[in-house]
Amino acid sequence: MSMAISVQDIGKQYWRASRATHENSLREALIEGARGLLTRKSEARPSKEGFWALKDVSFGIKHGENVGIIGMNGAGKSTLLKLISRIAAPTTGSIRLVGRVGALLEVGTGFHRELTGRENIFLYGSILGMHRHEIAEKFEAIVEFSEIGDFIDMPVKRYSSGMYVRLAFSVAAHLEPDILLLDEVLAVGDYTFQKKCIDFARRLQTKGSTILLVSHNMFSVKTMCERVIYIKNGRVAFDGPTDEGLRHYEQDSYLAPPNWFRPETGSPLEIQGIEILDESGAPRTLFRSGERMRVRLAYTTSGAVPRTHLRVSVTRADDLLCCNYSSLIDGVSLSAFGPDGTVEVMTGPLALTAASYTVSVNVVGKDAGRPLAARLGPRFHVADPDLDPDVFGVFHEAGTWHHAPGGA
Amino acid sequence: MMDSLDALALDAPKHGLAGPRSEPTAMPVTEIVPDHKLVAFDAASVWQYRGLLWVLILRDLKVLYRQTALGACWAIAQPLFTVAIFTVIFGHFAKIPTDGAPYALFAGSAIILWTYFAESVRRSATGLVTEAELIRKIYFPRLVIPLATVVSPMVDFAIALVVMLVLMLGYGVVPSWHIVFAIPTLAVTAMLALGVSLWLGPVNVRFRDVKHTLPFLIQIWMYASPIVYAASIVPDSVRWVYALNPMVGLIEAFRFSILGGTAPDLFALAVSVTVASVLLVTGLIFFQRMERSFADVI
Repeated sequence: MSMAISVQDIGKQYWRASRATHENSLREALIEGARGLLTRKSEARPSKEGFWALKDVSFGIKHGENVGIIGMNGAGKSTLLKLISRIAAPTTGSIRLVGRVGALLEVGTGFHRELTGRENIFLYGSILGMHRHEIAEKFEAIVEFSEIGDFIDMPVKRYSSGMYVRLAFSVAAHLEPDILLLDEVLAVGDYTFQKKCIDFARRLQTKGSTILLVSHNMFSVKTMCERVIYIKNGRVAFDGPTDEGLRHYEQDSYLAPPNWFRPETGSPLEIQGIEILDESGAPRTLFRSGERMRVRLAYTTSGAVPRTHLRVSVTRADDLLCCNYSSLIDGVSLSAFGPDGTVEVMTGPLALTAASYTVSVNVVGKDAGRPLAARLGPRFHVADPDLDPDVFGVFHEAGTWHHAPGGA
Repeated sequence: MMDSLDALALDAPKHGLAGPRSEPTAMPVTEIVPDHKLVAFDAASVWQYRGLLWVLILRDLKVLYRQTALGACWAIAQPLFTVAIFTVIFGHFAKIPTDGAPYALFAGSAIILWTYFAESVRRSATGLVTEAELIRKIYFPRLVIPLATVVSPMVDFAIALVVMLVLMLGYGVVPSWHIVFAIPTLAVTAMLALGVSLWLGPVNVRFRDVKHTLPFLIQIWMYASPIVYAASIVPDSVRWVYALNPMVGLIEAFRFSILGGTAPDLFALAVSVTVASVLLVTGLIFFQRMERSFADVI
C-alpha cells in the first residue's frame, strides 16, 4: 500500500541563546548590533546554542493507518506534529504527504467571540481549509452535530465553554480529510465528549482516513491506534504495536516527575521506588473492586528533612484525577527521617470502577507549600464485570435501600 | 478493439455512468523541505486559500462595525473631524495656499487616501501578532493576513469617498471624468501599503516594539506628504528629494482625479509606482523567507 505520510530524517533546531539575549525588542537588538560593530565579533556574539527538539526522525505511515505519538512532556511530539502540519518548518530532512491534510492542534483556535455561531462556522471552516460551498453544504449537519440549536445566531461569547467546544469540534468533524493530525484535542471536555471524539475518529477510520494522534491519554491511544511511535528526547525510541510501545513508555515514565512538577536541586528527599502491593503485602497490579491496596514508597535522604506530608494520588488512564490519600487530611505527621526508609499507606476497600489507573506520590514539606519530591508510580487495574466506568462513573459504593410500597 | 473500448470509456460519463470508484481519486501531494531557496513565492497556495482571505476580511469588518455603538459612523466621523480641524487651523489661521480649491476639499481629498494608507499599514504591520494564536496552531499561507488587512480598510475608504463627494456637491464642485484616475491611484497605494507591511509585519513578529514606533513614523510620514499643504509650496531645489516619498505622487494624483486642478508631477508619480513595485516584490521575498519561522518565534 502507498504511504500517506513519509518522514525522512527530520530535524528541528531551536535557537535558545539568540532569543534569550535579544528578547523581543528592536531597541535591544540595535544596541547589541552596535556593540557588535565596536567589539570583536567573537566576543560580541554569545555562541548560539542550538537545541534539537527533534533529530533524525524517520517513519512512514500507510493510508488508512491510525498511529499514536507518545512521549514525555518536551520529548518533541508536538513539534513533530507542527512540522507535519506545516505550521513550523523543519531544519533538516523532508516530509511527504499524500492526501488532503486536516490538522486539529487545538479545538476552536480561530473562533471569534464577537461573531455568531453561524458566522464562526464559516470562519473556522475556512481556517481549517474548507471551501465556502463545502461549508454551506455541510452547515445543517454541523449545527445538528453540535447540538447548539437556536443559539446558532448568538455571539459565541454568550456560549458556555461546553457549547463552544462542541461547535468547534463539530466543524472540525466535518472536515473529512484524508490525513488527520490531532494533538491532545481529545483531552478536551468531559468523558462523554471524549467518547464523541473517539467515535468521530473511528468513523473517519472506516472511510480510510489516516490518523496521527499525539496524546498523553493512553486510553485514547489504546482505543484508536494499532501502532505507536514513542518519541524520547527528540528521537524515535520505539515504533511498533501499541501494547509494546505503551509498555516501553510506562517503563520509562515509572518514577518520572509528573507534568506539573519542576524538580528543584538540593531537595533533601528523593523517592527511590513506588510499589503496589495487596493487603497481604505481595506485589500485585490487578485488583477487584472492594479489595484493599498498599502503596509503598522507598526514599533516601541527604540532610535534614523537615516534617512532611505525603499525598498518594490515583489517576485514571484518561488523565482524570480520581482520589488522593493524604497524610495531612488523615492527621498523620511524618518526621524523624533516617538516611533511607519506606512509607506505606493502605487504602480502604477500593471503590473505583473497572479501568486502568496510575499511582503518583507527592511529598510536601509541612510549612512550605512546594513539593519536595513528586514521582509517577506504577499502573494498576481494577477488574469488575459490572462496573463499567461509562455507566458507573468514577467510583461505586453499595447503598442501603428501603422500599415502602403503598405510600409512605 | 482497444479504440472502441477507449471510446466507450470516454463516452461513459455522458450517459451518467461514472465508472467504478475502486481507484482512489488523485490525491494532492505535499512536500515539506527546509527552505534554502531565495525566492519561494507560492502563489498557488495563496490562491487556494482565497476563501480564507475573504472570510478574514468579512470578519474584520463585522467585528469592527458591530463592537462600536456608532458602527459605520466612525468611518464618516473620523475623516470629517480631521478635515474640520485642518480646515480651521491650516485653512483659516495659517491660510495655506491650495491652488484655488476650498481648503476643506483640498485637505479632505488627501486625508481619505492617507487614512486608507495609514490604516492599512497600521493593521497589517501588527496583524501577524494579532493572529498569533492562529499562526501557532493552524497552517495557512501567512500572506493571507497582510492581504486581508490591506483590503478591509477599503470599505472605510469607500464610505469616506462618498462623504467626500457629498461635501464637494455642498461646495458646488462637480468631479470631472478625471475621477477614473482614482482607481489606479488607490491600487498603487494598496500596493505600497502591502509592500511596507510585508517588511514591517515580520519585523514586528521578531521585535514587538515596532508597534510602538509605528504611530510616530506614520505621523512624520503624514507631514512629509502634501496633505495639509500643496506640493507646489515645496521649494524647487529640494523638490526631487521630496518626491522620493512615494505618497507625494499618489496624493497629488488622487487630489487631481477628484478636484481637478494642475496635473500631478509625472516624475513624482513614476517614483511612487517604482517604490511601490520594488517594496512589493522585495517585501514578498522577505515575507516568504520569514514566514516559515513565525510559528517558532511568535
